[in-house]
Amino acid sequence: MRVEVDYDRCEGHGQCEERAPAVFELDDQGFLTHHYEGQDLPVELEDAARGAVAVCPVAALRLVGSP
Amino acid sequence: MTTTATAPRYDADIYTDAALRDPYEHYRALRDLGPAVRLTAHDDAFAVARYDDVKQVLGTPEVFRSAAGIALNEPANAAILGCTLASDGERHAHLRRVVAHRLTPRALRPMREIVVEAADALVADLVARGSFDAVGDLARALPLSIVPDFIGWPEEGREHLLRWAGANFDSFGPLNARAEAALPQCGEMAAYGAALVRDGNVLPGSLGASVLEARDRGEVTDEQCMMLMLDYLAPSLDTTISAVGSAIWLFGTHPAQWERLRAEPELIANAVQEVVRLESPIRGFGRLAAEDTEIGGVPVPAGSRVLVLYAAANRDERHFADPDTFDVARPDALEQLGFGYGEHGCAGQGLAKLEVQALLTALVRVVTRFELGAPERALNNLIRAFASVPVTVHTDRSGAPDHHRR
Repeated sequence: MRVEVDYDRCEGHGQCEERAPAVFELDDQGFLTHHYEGQDLPVELEDAARGAVAVCPVAALRLVGSP
Repeated sequence: MTTTATAPRYDADIYTDAALRDPYEHYRALRDLGPAVRLTAHDDAFAVARYDDVKQVLGTPEVFRSAAGIALNEPANAAILGCTLASDGERHAHLRRVVAHRLTPRALRPMREIVVEAADALVADLVARGSFDAVGDLARALPLSIVPDFIGWPEEGREHLLRWAGANFDSFGPLNARAEAALPQCGEMAAYGAALVRDGNVLPGSLGASVLEARDRGEVTDEQCMMLMLDYLAPSLDTTISAVGSAIWLFGTHPAQWERLRAEPELIANAVQEVVRLESPIRGFGRLAAEDTEIGGVPVPAGSRVLVLYAAANRDERHFADPDTFDVARPDALEQLGFGYGEHGCAGQGLAKLEVQALLTALVRVVTRFELGAPERALNNLIRAFASVPVTVHTDRSGAPDHHRR
């Protein structure tokens, strides 16, 4: 399972970081870093990542290749 | 798609004074009737009240359009056509880009200190007074001391802002007496916005000034410029004011929750989400179905008006456990839909959360208990709010019997 970020849409609200801090991080300028960009997530982070996708207020996150 | 079912119907007017005072039983009934319910009292608009369906509709903006769809009546939809709220697709993305970058959390970082200082000063003053109106003296004071400057609205005309903002939201309902009374005031506001653009009369360095610069670069037209001046003003006042008034009322009526917040102030951000979930400031917005479609299996023909009820979704027992319970530590409060969701998700939510969090942070340091007087509801077609919440605050220093807290 992967998560894709639409960086045009991301406004840096930071709710993904609250839900999945091991996957998403806002840097000092408030820009999003996705620690698993283009990679499959470790299984133990999948639930947190799903939660992050669910709480993005502008729907900038998308699950790919997940049931 | 096997959508042979017909939509259930609901006959009550959900915009009467009584319904606006207590909308939640209507919303429960709508959720229980089905994913999309015909409102026979409101031109057969489809009400969407369940969490999953609200999220689905908001997440499908190419089918459920905002242009000509936001309000439940044609005159209001015509009046706002072309503003960010009431546009779709590329046009919407373009307009949002002109302004929203000033409102993102990263752009707001320099604002943080200003907001926190203003909140601290305001709370210190009110706590010293002891008794005050949590709406008039607290909830209104902070956004009014920050937002008009931020947007760049000149001093003259500010006395009308709250009346115009309220009228703006009233106009989005069905064409009832409230909406009819509001429409001429929306006209006043639009004329004022047009004059601002014509005269370039905005504060330097403000959001409004950057809108005029975008116009000068040819990125937006004069008319779009006028819309943008108003787009972020009206929604940034009543909503935040509603959340702060509801927060004080909720903590006054749930003293154990305030105790919890005092013990664990790191829950403040979650508590703000919980207040917005339980007493969603914007009950809902409309959409227009652009094609024959369905909502949760209920067929919705092209051209149907759809009323997306955030306030109902936020109390959906299919999604939230004990949805009517106020719990500042609720684990999934962040999933609330009070700021909308997706392409049209509230652009100003960063500023709103910053303001409410700053006020609660200042209050939690000194106030041990809120003693409420008799609150009074403000009735608006769209906004859930109090007109006044009289309150006396008790502090550790006030010598009140709060010392033996449990």
